[in-house]
Amino acid sequence: MLEVFGGHPYRAILVWTLMLLVVPFLPLDDYVLHILTLFLIFAVFATGWNLTLGILGLKTLGHHAFFAIGAYASALVSHYFGISPWITIWLGAIIAAIAGIVIGFPILRIRSMPHVAIVTLAFAEIVRLVLSNLKEITRGELGFWGIPPFDPISIGGTTIQFGLGNAFGSFAVAAVMFVGVHLLLLMLLKSRSGLTFLAIRDGEAAAESLGVKLAAWKLFAFGVSAAIVGLSGAVYAHYVLILTPSSVAGPDMLISLLAMIIVGGVGRFFGPIYGALLLTVSSELLRDFGDYRMLLYGALIVVFVFVAPTGIAGLKPASWRKPRESASQPAEAT
Amino acid sequence: MAADFLRVEQLTVAFGGIFALKDVSLSIDEGRTTAILGPNGAGKTTLFNAISGAVRPTAGKIRFLGEDVSTKSPSSRCHSGIARTFQITQPFGSLSVIENVMVALATKGASMAEARREAATYVEFVGLSAKAEDPARVLSTGQRKRLELARALATHPRLLLLDEVTGGVDRPSIPELLSLIRRLREERRITIVVVEHNMEVLLDLADDAVFLNRGEVVVTGGMQEVAGHEAVRSIYLGDIDAAA
Ligand SMILES: Nc1ncnc2c1ncn2[C@@H]1O[C@H](COP(=O)(O)OP(=O)(O)OP(=O)(O)O)[C@@H](O)[C@H]1O
Ligand SMILES: [Mg+2]
Repeated sequence: MLEVFGGHPYRAILVWTLMLLVVPFLPLDDYVLHILTLFLIFAVFATGWNLTLGILGLKTLGHHAFFAIGAYASALVSHYFGISPWITIWLGAIIAAIAGIVIGFPILRIRSMPHVAIVTLAFAEIVRLVLSNLKEITRGELGFWGIPPFDPISIGGTTIQFGLGNAFGSFAVAAVMFVGVHLLLLMLLKSRSGLTFLAIRDGEAAAESLGVKLAAWKLFAFGVSAAIVGLSGAVYAHYVLILTPSSVAGPDMLISLLAMIIVGGVGRFFGPIYGALLLTVSSELLRDFGDYRMLLYGALIVVFVFVAPTGIAGLKPASWRKPRESASQPAEAT
Repeated sequence: MAADFLRVEQLTVAFGGIFALKDVSLSIDEGRTTAILGPNGAGKTTLFNAISGAVRPTAGKIRFLGEDVSTKSPSSRCHSGIARTFQITQPFGSLSVIENVMVALATKGASMAEARREAATYVEFVGLSAKAEDPARVLSTGQRKRLELARALATHPRLLLLDEVTGGVDRPSIPELLSLIRRLREERRITIVVVEHNMEVLLDLADDAVFLNRGEVVVTGGMQEVAGHEAVRSIYLGDIDAAA
C-alpha cells in the first residue's frame, strides 16, 4: 500500500492542515482566497472520484453526476424548505451515496471496462438532462439561483460570515471539509477496506478466490465515493450560489476533473490534490483563453497518460523501490 | 464419510463450441493427495476453475462436504474451505508480499494487526520472509508461486488446489517446496489436489491420480497404477523412465 499512500500519509495531511491554517494570516486578497476555495472543493471532488477510478480500478466516468446531485439536492432543499445548509449538505451527500449504490448494481454485472465507462457516462448525461428538464423546480439551464449561503456561526466573540463578500468564511468551510474528508478516508483506506479495494483492483479473480465478497465491497466503495463527491458538490452550491445543469454535470466538469485526477496521479491517495491545485490555479491563469482551456486539459490528459501515467504523485522517487532481483534459473515448464 | 469430501458429478464445461470438460465424474477423499494429469489443454485448470467457482459449469454438479456448491460464488466456496493457486500467478502487484497474504485474513474479519501477525507465519512458511515488505510486482516467477501458496493457506483451507506450483521455480528449490506441500498434509491435514507436469514430483507426492485427455477422464486410480497406464506412459514416457 506504500505506493498508494507514500511513506507518511498522516504527516502529509498534517502538513496540508498547517499550510491551510497559515493562509488566513497571509496578506492575500479575496480573489486568491476564492481560487484556493475552489481548489479545496475540487480536491475533495477528485479524491472521492479517485476512490472508484483509481483505488478500486473501475473506469467510472460519471461522477460529475454525483457532484450535481449533491449540489442540487442541498440547494433545492435549503431553498424550498428553508433548512440550514449546515444540515442540507449532509442530505446532499447521503442522496449522492444512494445514487452511487443504485448505479453500482448494474456495474457489478459488467466485466468490460469500456462498458463501465459508457454506462457511468450515460448515467451522468441522464442526470444532467433531468436537471435541465425539471424547469419548474430547477429553472433548467437558466440557472438555479437564490441558494442560501451557510448561516453565520459565532465562535467565542467573533462571528464568521459566509457568502458573497466573505471569502474567508467559505475558505474555512472548504478547508475543514478538505482536511476532514482526507483524514477520514485515509483512516478507512489504511484499514482492511483499503487493502481489499486494492486487491480487487490488482486481481479481481484472485481476491474472490481468497474469500473477498466482490459485490458488497464494490457497492461500499461506490457509496463512499459518491458521498464524498456529493458533499463537495453541496459545499460548492452554497459557495457559488448559482447552479446550472451543464456547469456541474456537463462535459467540461468531466474533462476538468479527469484531468486533475490523471495529472495528479490515478490511484495515488494524494494525487488528486496535486492535480486539483495545479489545474485550478492554471485554469484561472488561462481564463482569457476561454474554450481553449478544455483543449489544453485534453492535451494534458493525453500527455500524462503516455508520458507519466502515475501522475505528479508518481514522480516522487519511491524510497522502497529496489532493483528487481535477477530471477534465478526457472525450471522448464513442459 | 471420506467419500463425501469432494465429488464432481458429470461435470461439463463448454466455452462456445469447445468442450473443456466433458461429463467428468470423480471423487476426492479427505486427507489424501490427488494428482490431475493430462497434456496441455486437457482441462486441468478448467477443472480447478469449476471446483473453486471461477467458471460456471455448463452441466453437472460439484459437492463439497456433502453440499452442492455448484452455484455458489468463489468467495463463499473459499469460506467453506476450498482454496486454489493460479497457474498464471495473480499477485496483487501494488501490495507488499505480506499485505497480499493479509487480504485473505482481513476479509474474514481479522484486524490489520492480527492479520499482519498471522500473515507473517505463512510468509515465513513459504520462505518469503526476506521479501515480506517488497511489492509483489517485483517477485520472480518462483517467488510468485510461493506467494500464491501462502495466500491460499491464509484462507485456512480444507481442500487446496495447486495448479503447477513448481512451474517456473528454480530447480534446486523444488525439493524444499515439495516438502512444504507434504507438511501441509501431515501437519494441517489439508487435502491436496495437484496439477503438475513433472512425473517425478507426482510419484513422490500423490496417492491417487486422475488422467484427463481432451476434457474427459481416461484413467483414475492409485498414482503408481495410473502412471503405469499406457495412455499416461505415452505422454509422460521420458519422465517415468527417469523416475523408475
Ligand atoms: N476462458 C476460456 N475461454 C475459452 N476457452 C477456454 C477458456 N479456458 C480454457 N479454455 C479452453 O479449454 C481447454 C482446456 O484448457 P485448460 O486451461 O483447462 O487446460 P489445461 O489442462 O490446464 O492445460 P495446460 O497444461 O496448458 O495448463 C483449452 O482448449 C482451452 O483453450
Ligand atoms: Mg492449466
